[in-house]
This record gives sequence, structure tokens and C-alpha cells, in this order.
Amino acid sequence: MQRARQIAIILPDILHSIGLHSLLSDYFYPVEVSYFPSFEQFLIEGNDQFEYYITDADQFVLNSEFFLPRKGKTIILVRENITNPGGHYINIHSTQETLLSTFRQIFAVGTSHIHTPDNNKDLSQREKDVLQLIVKGSTNKEIADKLSISLNTVLTHRKNITGKLGIKTISGLTYYAIMNGFISADDIDI
Amino acid sequence: MPLVYSDMPLSEVVENHTSLIPVINRFGIRLGLGDKTVETVCRENQLDAEFFLMVLNTFLNEEFFPEKKLQSFHTSQIIDYLTKTNQYYLRFQLPNIERHLNSFISMSTSENPSLTAIGKFFRSFRDELTARINYDTHEWFPYCEALSRKLKGEALSQINKVVTREEAGDTIESLLSDLKSIMIKHLSGEYDQNLCYAVIFSLTSLEKDIKQHNRIRYRILTQMVSGMENQLTS
Repeated sequence: MQRARQIAIILPDILHSIGLHSLLSDYFYPVEVSYFPSFEQFLIEGNDQFEYYITDADQFVLNSEFFLPRKGKTIILVRENITNPGGHYINIHSTQETLLSTFRQIFAVGTSHIHTPDNNKDLSQREKDVLQLIVKGSTNKEIADKLSISLNTVLTHRKNITGKLGIKTISGLTYYAIMNGFISADDIDI
Repeated sequence: MPLVYSDMPLSEVVENHTSLIPVINRFGIRLGLGDKTVETVCRENQLDAEFFLMVLNTFLNEEFFPEKKLQSFHTSQIIDYLTKTNQYYLRFQLPNIERHLNSFISMSTSENPSLTAIGKFFRSFRDELTARINYDTHEWFPYCEALSRKLKGEALSQINKVVTREEAGDTIESLLSDLKSIMIKHLSGEYDQNLCYAVIFSLTSLEKDIKQHNRIRYRILTQMVSGMENQLTS
């Protein structure tokens, strides 16, 4: 599962905020939007975990000591077309189509380095070893002993296996292992 | 999504959201709705319109879940609804998935071992869900009812505490989501695409229903029960 993109909207205008919120959640799943009617409110309740800040030019100028160092993560609502390579601008008078493609461009730059190539999704030999033991019903402790690795390493392998396969349950992992011939149905009790 | 209100024609609501058909069926409402409003349909079927609307709206909107309001309904109403959903899973949804799954497996050309494994995975899920339903029917729901009757002053002998069936590690919801995930991400070999979609579609509709059932189960009924337990012990 892709992690939800955290976005802070810092705008006094509630209608703009609602509009942005629904645009983002309808078209850019998964996002998690937090709304702050003023910068002061943001300082009280917000944190520094946001991937993007959406605000207007007034807020940006008034609080430039906060926004300037975060310029690459800040999207400024403006009333005309601005193409300044140093920042992200959204013209509030543009059509929905333009709004969507502008957001898409901004987000695409931000995530291009996160995407993992597909071949990383295959299990490593070690992960296959761990998977075989999990589906045979071994406990984490037994797996650690058998493979001479630490308990923490076992936990990391388990986390990575679930992450790569998108399967959380023991039953799910068991049938995955059977489907892929990592284990035969005779080896286990199903 | 806009909420449903009592003065709306039920047929209009159902036309826009056909996934509600099994939900209204379980309240005993059949199609052929005409132009009757929700309120009229409820009156004719002797249903509590407020409760009925609450169920429809929480079913349609994942975001909408008014806990306070739901807890104000009677325990027996909640249990009655959960029992109806359980019966619907047993009598219709599970057999329906199984029917699709069986033709999916048998119609696919040549032996495909990955399909056989999916069939087995589904059956183990089915057994798990059936066990939970049996436990609800024979242990947990009667216990909840007994608490509520005792609170109303009925002289009942000692009630032995029953807790909801612990799902040993793998929950019903996560099993379902893994079953879907295995088909969508890891299917291999030859198979019939059309039947495969039928299986996934029926799994998804069960998944949505169970998610809704579980919200009521864990956030409403479980809360009501611990409230009643506290009242009786104090």
C-alpha cells in the first residue's frame, strides 16, 4: 500500500480549502489533508511532517521565514498565470483540467525518486527461507535459531515479505508459497 | 456522498446505489418499490425508519458513522441487524462466491495449481467466517441479549461472561483482503478472465459488507456490552 501523501492547507478562505480538499482526495488518492484557517493555528496544531503546504500569496509573504526554506514543498494560490521555475503556483481562475495537470506535475516531481523498480518486488533467497518457515508454523524465535539470524532480522524479513507481496495473513502467505512452489501442500497441514 | 432522508423515494435511492439491494432485502423489503418514500416503506414493513436510514447511510458513506446516535438504539435492534447480515453471508454471499469460484477453477483450461490453491484458501476463509457466525448465534448474541434483559429488571440467574470470538491472529477482514490481493497481484498460468472477475467482484461485495458489519460490531455492540456490564456490576 502506498503511503498517504500529507498535505497542509493554510488558508483563511474556507471555500477554497474545501474545494482543494475534495479535488485532492477525489483525484490524488491516497492523500491526507489537514486544514488550518490561519498560520497561527498551523503553528499550534501542525507539525513538520507535511509533504506539501498549500497557501496564498499573503500568507506566504507574511510568514516567509517559514515558507522560503520550504519553497519546493509550498504551493501558492495566485490569481494569474505565473511560471516561475523556482516555485509552485496554482492560478485559482484556471479550469479544473489545468488545476489537475498542474497538481500532477508538482506531485510527480516529488515522488519520482521514491518509486521502486519492479524487480525489487521479488523475494530474496533469504526472504524465501523465512517464508517457508513461517508457513510451516515456526515461531519467530525458531526461525531465528534455524537460520542463525537475530530475532530483529526475522522481524525485518517478515515486514519486507508482507510489504513486497501485499499479503498480511499466515493463510495468505501459505497459499502464496504453494502457488509459487516454495512449498508443497503435503509439507503442511491445511 | 449525499445522505438518504426519510422523504426520498426509496426506488430513487436504490437506482443510484444498487449495492443497497441486499441491505434492504435483509430488512424484509422487496423490489417493486414504486414511488414510495423511505418513511412509507418503513411504516408498511413495521421498521424503525431512523434505524433503517442510519444503516443505509453508514453503508453508503465510509466517512459517516455517528457513534453516539447508533448507541442510542436498542441492543436488540443492533443484534437483530447483525444476525441478519450473518444469515445473508451464510445463505447467499458465501454460496455465491463459491459458485463463481468453482466454475472459475473448473472452466480454466488444463490444471492450474495456483487456482486450486486459491480454492483452498477460500474454503479456509469460509470455515473461519462460519465459525464466527456460529459463535455469534449460540454464545455472544444470547449473552448480549441476556445482559439487556437483566438490566430491564428481568430476574435472570447468573450470567456467565462471554467475549466475542478472538480471531487467532488472522482477522476475517485481512483474510478477505489477502484473498483478493493474491488473485490480483499473484495469479499465474491460464485461466478464464471473465469468471475471475466474477469471483473478485463477489469477494469485493462481501468485503464491503463485512467492513460495515465489523464497524457496528466493534464500535457499537461491544461498547454497549461493556457499558451494560459496568452497570450490572456497580
